Amino acid sequence: MSGQFVIAPLLVALVTAIATLLTRRFNRVQTTLSLLGGVGYLGAVAWLVSKVDPLGATNVFSYQLSGWQAPFGITLVADSLSAFMLAFSAVIALAALVFSSAYVDTFGQRVSYHPLYHFMMVGVTGSFLTGDIFNLFVWFEVMLMSSYVLVVFYSGPEHTRAALQYVVLNLVGSAVMLLAIGGLYSTTGTLNMADLSRRVANPAAYGDFAVAPVLGLSALLFAVFALKAGLAPFQFWVPAAYRAAPAPVSAMLAGVVKKVGVYAIIRVYFTVFGAAALGGLSFPGLSVPDGGSALLAFYGPILFVMAAASIIVGGLGAVGRDDIDGLLAYSSIGQVGFIVLPLAIAATTTDESIRVLGVSAALVYALNHGFAKGLLFMASGAVYDAVGTEEFPDLGGLSETAPWLSGGFFVGALALIGIPPLSGFFGKLLVFDAAGQASSTAGLAVALFGAILTIAYFSRAWNRGFWGEPSLLVQHGETRFTLVAVVVAMALAIALLGVGFDVVMRAAEAGAEAALDRQEYVETVLGGGSGAEAAGGGGGGHS
Amino acid sequence: MTQFVLAGVLGVLFALGTFLVLRRDVVRVVWGVTIISQSANVYLVTMGGLSGSVPILGGHGGGHGAGVTDPLVQALVLTAIVIGFGTTAFALVLTYRVYEEHGTIDLLELGDKA
Repeated sequence: MSGQFVIAPLLVALVTAIATLLTRRFNRVQTTLSLLGGVGYLGAVAWLVSKVDPLGATNVFSYQLSGWQAPFGITLVADSLSAFMLAFSAVIALAALVFSSAYVDTFGQRVSYHPLYHFMMVGVTGSFLTGDIFNLFVWFEVMLMSSYVLVVFYSGPEHTRAALQYVVLNLVGSAVMLLAIGGLYSTTGTLNMADLSRRVANPAAYGDFAVAPVLGLSALLFAVFALKAGLAPFQFWVPAAYRAAPAPVSAMLAGVVKKVGVYAIIRVYFTVFGAAALGGLSFPGLSVPDGGSALLAFYGPILFVMAAASIIVGGLGAVGRDDIDGLLAYSSIGQVGFIVLPLAIAATTTDESIRVLGVSAALVYALNHGFAKGLLFMASGAVYDAVGTEEFPDLGGLSETAPWLSGGFFVGALALIGIPPLSGFFGKLLVFDAAGQASSTAGLAVALFGAILTIAYFSRAWNRGFWGEPSLLVQHGETRFTLVAVVVAMALAIALLGVGFDVVMRAAEAGAEAALDRQEYVETVLGGGSGAEAAGGGGGGHS
Repeated sequence: MTQFVLAGVLGVLFALGTFLVLRRDVVRVVWGVTIISQSANVYLVTMGGLSGSVPILGGHGGGHGAGVTDPLVQALVLTAIVIGFGTTAFALVLTYRVYEEHGTIDLLELGDKA
């Protein structure tokens, strides 16, 4: 099925970015346009979601740019997985935008803040919607280029240093991604995800290329995605960059931009390369049982080790931090581990229902982390705005002077710990459920250890920052209404998501099924009706 | 033959880029990143196969019919080069800003001030 609405969120974000760039001399106009653009973006995403209808039957829509048919032209694809990611990103993006219109000073807003913010959204949207690996690279670059500037936004000594690290690392990452893309093109003769998926599933019909190099090249690509997602051992850029960026930008980086890496891992490995048949390959300590999921079986242990390392490194790092932003940054490394852990289980298992459960657990956890970490970073920004510091030794007693703000922080912390009425409870529950059903003792142990660490560092943050006698700085601090209102609204959203969890769960399951249903994806993108097998004969001669 | 020469050159370029990225001087690091991304571009071109003729000549105007070099990779490289220019320009500006803020572009000295 084709649909023009797929491109709507992209256009809205792009038009807003350009409009805010043109009106940068008129501060009020610019801010108004930017906020309107944020609302419009949410509207466009809602339209897309209503069309894709993740609660009903599986729908996949593709939009062929300029009418060039799929394997040759550029394709945008919207299915339940992209719709799920887009929907929660749009909500977080709007909240962070409202927050930043009050938080970032007038001069900063006038310089470049709004256009950069919207260009970052263009990149994020494009990454979620693209059906082509090279375009994934392009959208990554759009997103990164804006995030470089946003990280260095205040351009003090600390910020320039963090940004330098972030930029150099990502530039090397981009070069590696190009290498992987070039190799994949040379091996398989295509970069379209759907085409790639059907080719690796049946190499004999497409010039009989060797599948073994695909494994190595996909591993190279995986390193880049892991870098974007901030998984250990690629996590070292995270704390400095998150601490340097303005609070709403950190909220976006942790809540949305990191999720692009997670999305890319799900889409590219489960939908595209998961189809690869690796018959005749053997690796030390790995049996290659059935043709269909051999490549996933290869990634299972890798994902597991990275997830476990992230949970431990992030958790232990967060326990030792003395400032809120540092603690949140390390915590976000650990929480991404929690997102990837069920993916590792989904990749390892051969049971289809556990696989769906694993991917939906990852999606639910990604949503929960997006909301909760977005809320926490914004709360930390509001604290900084009121008190002028985020160091725990200078804080204390915030719950007396700023009860609403503290309440918001508390809800965010509880959501990440996983307390029942909040969305975080279901996230944690599903992660444990997936590990339990796959009878993965190691997975359960790691998740349990991570959960205890989460409780440890958040209770420490709460005790030192929010309880006790108000310090001198805190007594003189004054919170601003807009900032606190956004924090409270996010807290309410987290509670609502937890209460109405049924809808979230159904959407996440639809997303997981869309990620695993290669047939539907391939048929839609490459022109419905003709079917993958029939179209194969014609396309085969091309490479 | 071209393939082997290019493979060798690419290897040397990547080695050189890596060497520069590991230096202490920020400007050299930026140079290193630039060289790595440029060699990734050259590598991307070679992935289309170098043996064929120009597509426009090969396909029309009395060409030999067969053996056309894949033009798609060249379109891809064009995009990658433009992106590379943008990011390099930004990295250079950032280096200048780092110098302004810290008074040095020595990465070890930057690290000490943390």
